[in-house]
Amino acid sequence: MKQWFGKAAALSVAAAVGLTAMSGALLANPYEKYKGTTIVVSWPALSHFKAAETLVEEFTEETGIEVEIDALQYLKLRDRQILEMSRDEGEYDIVSWVVMWKGEYVSKGLLTPLSQFFTNGALVDPQYDIDDIADAYLQNGGIVGGTKGYMPGKSGALYGVPFGAETSILAYRTDVFEELGLEPPKTYDELVSVSKMIKEKKGMGALTSRGKTGHQVTAAWLLHLAPLGGKIFDDEWNPVINSPEAVKAAEVLRTVSNTGPTGIPSYGFSEMSAAFLQGDAAMYLDSLKIAAMSRNPKLSKVDGKVGFALHPVGSRCGSETGGFAMGIPANSLNKEAAFLFVQYMTSKAGDKRMVELGGDPIRLSTLNHPEFVKQFPEYPVVAEQLPCADPDWRPLIPEWNELNIDVLGQALTKVITTDGPIQPIMDEANEKARAIMAREGYYAWSDYRK
Amino acid sequence: MSGVVLRDVVKAYGDVVIIPKLDLEIYEGEFVVIVGPSGCGKSTTLRMIAGLEMVTSGEISIAGKDVTYAQPKARDIAMVFQSYALYPHMDVAGNMSFALRLARVPKAEIAERVQRAAEMLELTPYLDRKPKDLSGGQRQRVAMGRSIVRDAYCFLFDEPLSNLDAKLRATMRTELAILHKKLERTMVYVTHDQIEAMTMADRIVIMKDGVIQQIGSPREVYTAPENLFVAGFIGSPSMNLMDAELTRNNGALYVKGQGFELPVPGRLQERADTAKKSNIVLGLRPEHFSAADRGNGAFAPIELAVDVAEYIGSSQFIAASVGGKNLTAAVEVGPDAAPMESGTYYFDTERLYLFDRESGQAL
Amino acid sequence: MAEETLITAGKAKTGGRTLTPYFFVLPAGIVMIAGLLYPVADAFYLSFYDWKIGTKFAKAEFVGFDNYIRMFSDPDVRESIWVTFRFGFWTILIEMIVGVSLALLLEKPIRGASLFRTIFILPLMVSPVVVGLIWRYLFDARVGWINYYLGYLGIEPQVWLGDAELAFFAIVFTDIWQWTPFIFIIVIAGLQALPSEVLEASRIDGANWWQQIFLVKLPMIRSILLIALLMRLIDVFRALEVMYILTGGGPGRATELLSLHIYNRAFDAQLLGYASAISVLLISIVFLLSLGILVVGNPMKEKSDI
Repeated sequence: MKQWFGKAAALSVAAAVGLTAMSGALLANPYEKYKGTTIVVSWPALSHFKAAETLVEEFTEETGIEVEIDALQYLKLRDRQILEMSRDEGEYDIVSWVVMWKGEYVSKGLLTPLSQFFTNGALVDPQYDIDDIADAYLQNGGIVGGTKGYMPGKSGALYGVPFGAETSILAYRTDVFEELGLEPPKTYDELVSVSKMIKEKKGMGALTSRGKTGHQVTAAWLLHLAPLGGKIFDDEWNPVINSPEAVKAAEVLRTVSNTGPTGIPSYGFSEMSAAFLQGDAAMYLDSLKIAAMSRNPKLSKVDGKVGFALHPVGSRCGSETGGFAMGIPANSLNKEAAFLFVQYMTSKAGDKRMVELGGDPIRLSTLNHPEFVKQFPEYPVVAEQLPCADPDWRPLIPEWNELNIDVLGQALTKVITTDGPIQPIMDEANEKARAIMAREGYYAWSDYRK
Repeated sequence: MSGVVLRDVVKAYGDVVIIPKLDLEIYEGEFVVIVGPSGCGKSTTLRMIAGLEMVTSGEISIAGKDVTYAQPKARDIAMVFQSYALYPHMDVAGNMSFALRLARVPKAEIAERVQRAAEMLELTPYLDRKPKDLSGGQRQRVAMGRSIVRDAYCFLFDEPLSNLDAKLRATMRTELAILHKKLERTMVYVTHDQIEAMTMADRIVIMKDGVIQQIGSPREVYTAPENLFVAGFIGSPSMNLMDAELTRNNGALYVKGQGFELPVPGRLQERADTAKKSNIVLGLRPEHFSAADRGNGAFAPIELAVDVAEYIGSSQFIAASVGGKNLTAAVEVGPDAAPMESGTYYFDTERLYLFDRESGQAL
Repeated sequence: MAEETLITAGKAKTGGRTLTPYFFVLPAGIVMIAGLLYPVADAFYLSFYDWKIGTKFAKAEFVGFDNYIRMFSDPDVRESIWVTFRFGFWTILIEMIVGVSLALLLEKPIRGASLFRTIFILPLMVSPVVVGLIWRYLFDARVGWINYYLGYLGIEPQVWLGDAELAFFAIVFTDIWQWTPFIFIIVIAGLQALPSEVLEASRIDGANWWQQIFLVKLPMIRSILLIALLMRLIDVFRALEVMYILTGGGPGRATELLSLHIYNRAFDAQLLGYASAISVLLISIVFLLSLGILVVGNPMKEKSDI
């Protein structure tokens, strides 16, 4: 009896060892281990992400990892994500953030550095080729902790991969420009003179622009700030929004508002783009999204009459980058599976597939793909524009919200709705900005050195 | 012509005619009570005099002035409403002086007139109270005071006492009568209560279905009702009306019905002769019954089967039947008398009424 | 005798005092505490902390009266209060005048009055968010109907929502559009409940149309007018959705009512503690205003007037 029991035990141990060995051998499929896992994705209900849903289904089919999508209205996204990520065990395994939020998420300790996955040979696809991802997008959306905390630099680390990222380009009405014998403006001087000419000769709005109080009007100003050589802060966190460059950008904004379609001080993004798409403005300077929108007959009356050009250059070339990046919350319970998802969605194949599904590419190989170039005239422009993108076109620090909305949003409204001199307005804003930074302790180092 | 005169007045709401045609002349200084059941058009008549309702056709004149289409304020009238209609946001003095203030009467005069009216109505201690802090009787007096202060040519009263309890109502009736004597103004008073009409009126106007049935002094309408309606309406308890026919017996004229036969008095003989003999209504006022023959020859016996006798002190109300028909009698007996029983009672035939059943008119 | 026994029995149960009334208001009391006092107390508590969304409250820093000190020296808060008072003054003034006038005009059962009444109260049925959207499109500078029809009159297109004065006009106008019917309904209900005899008495007393309105009708519905005023006043301090959608408080702070200011501070600038401190200020202002109105003329006190 005893003997029999011992034999059986030995056998079962052997069987167990054998099974383990066998399963080890089966790990030829990197996804196998996570089959049946369910990961939850939080992203905005925007067109790029709508398009991504098909690719998510294909991911589940291929890998066996189930994905639950929690698509929220853009405005509600951050509050919800922060709420989930600040719990001990969060619901979300993947969050998609607007680049603006990355500093806040990392400073609050809510995200997982991606290095811990890129060091895991079993997870990383050797053909992933992270260098193929547009550098501006990766730096802007994914890297946190470099220079000033949000720019690239040795102290930075990768927290996310861009997905649904975008840059700014100039779109213009080929028919209007031809009629007036104009060339699309290459410099800011040309932009200003072309704007005045269009308004004068054609009576239509020249450049459409956002202008609503708050972050919208600030966004419009920032478009011009970087190319004109301005910045929000110097290297010591002193605000420089009253510098000659910044004042010049505000002047440009005022000209744009005066020569643009009626109502710019009340425009948000949708009103601004609608003015162009419905033929009330001859130029558009903002997110590349306009390209896809102009081809959508439901939105656009100008399909076929739109050309694309680089963001005009001032003292330097400096377009904006923005949009979304994806990363993994620190409190996720399925981090490896989540990484596999991020990798899949942003791989070369995934990126091409996204374009086929109607999304926006993040990889140079996709932007330069001959087939797509034929189909999407803006792709070469975007590819050329991206190296120009200024990662410091606005600071990504928690205080930015207040500066953006309360300080700049107010001052710039004054710029475009009044006629008085601009310098004093910007001087006052600069003082307010300085007070906020002082309150938040940014000058501790410079005070200490005194 | 002075007084209040309504000439050929018609009031209709669309197709519904409330008052077919009304002529009424109220003399200056007279107290006229318009009485009738609800819906008879008495309030409408009063409101037309007030100018709150417009006549459909016809004319109204007050103090000799044609006011048919004049605004209420141009008619020199004052009105007291059933609900008193006081202004809740003004105190008693404010309520009483409102019309004077609108008319821009000098302040001193207003104060004096309010003071006088308040004294007359014993309202002086309450002048700065709001209506909600007053009792029903006091509110009623304020409503009167509001009219008195006006010193209008004509006072209109729309059932002013019907929201008061019985005792207060009796007191106010007296006060109103006194007031009329003091003020010597024309007063038109509408009520459904014939006692109010009888006690206060110089003349009573009895209305039914928009038509005046009779106009006369209280005595006239009581002693000589012109038709069945007036006969039944005036008097309390109301007149007993019984189907009857006229018969001749030994040359004498009798009115005969189920269970009774009474001689027709001399004053009616002539007219009864010419009337249809078989289509008569006999009217007997309860108070003209008697327990005993008073022996002046006018009293005729009548057999009553008494159902119940109500003791009310100096007399008793008897609910009885004659020939199977219900009848009320009030007989004077001593306060110590036992409840009255069935038997022979007597009726003062000098005071019986005969009506033509078809036309309803008195013979 | 029997009655007497009953009364003494009732008294005996509670030892001379009766607790029954308190028992009946208990549920209402609990709802009040849970639904009203708790959030207010919480906001008050929060106003002493510097708490950022996304961090644990345990980590929030206690800052004492810092938020209050900052608030009283903050020109933006002052400006926002000023905007709110101006907004309240104009909207309530015009709503009261227009609402009461319409009610007086449509009080009599003239032909079509019920149709007009129905049309007039329609704006009340529309949710504030939809009101905001409707008027945002109507006021739109480029495609809005208002500019379109003004174009027929030869008037240049105006930037309704992007100009400080026009935007203020726009929110006042929108509020009047939506809330005049509220005054209208309340006043017309009050007017129709007025005893007709009192109005007739005033006609006989010699009041003309104007005098009847100003000396009789309006004073008689005074308590109703006060309640309507009070409710609108409180609403002005609660108004958020329409302005949020219509202008977002802009341009500048031209249309940033105090409630919207709090919202922007709390959720855009993420200053929860500071926003709570301003909320406490808002509650205090509303409380004082309500108290003032109740002291001037308690509408409950004169309920039995009519």
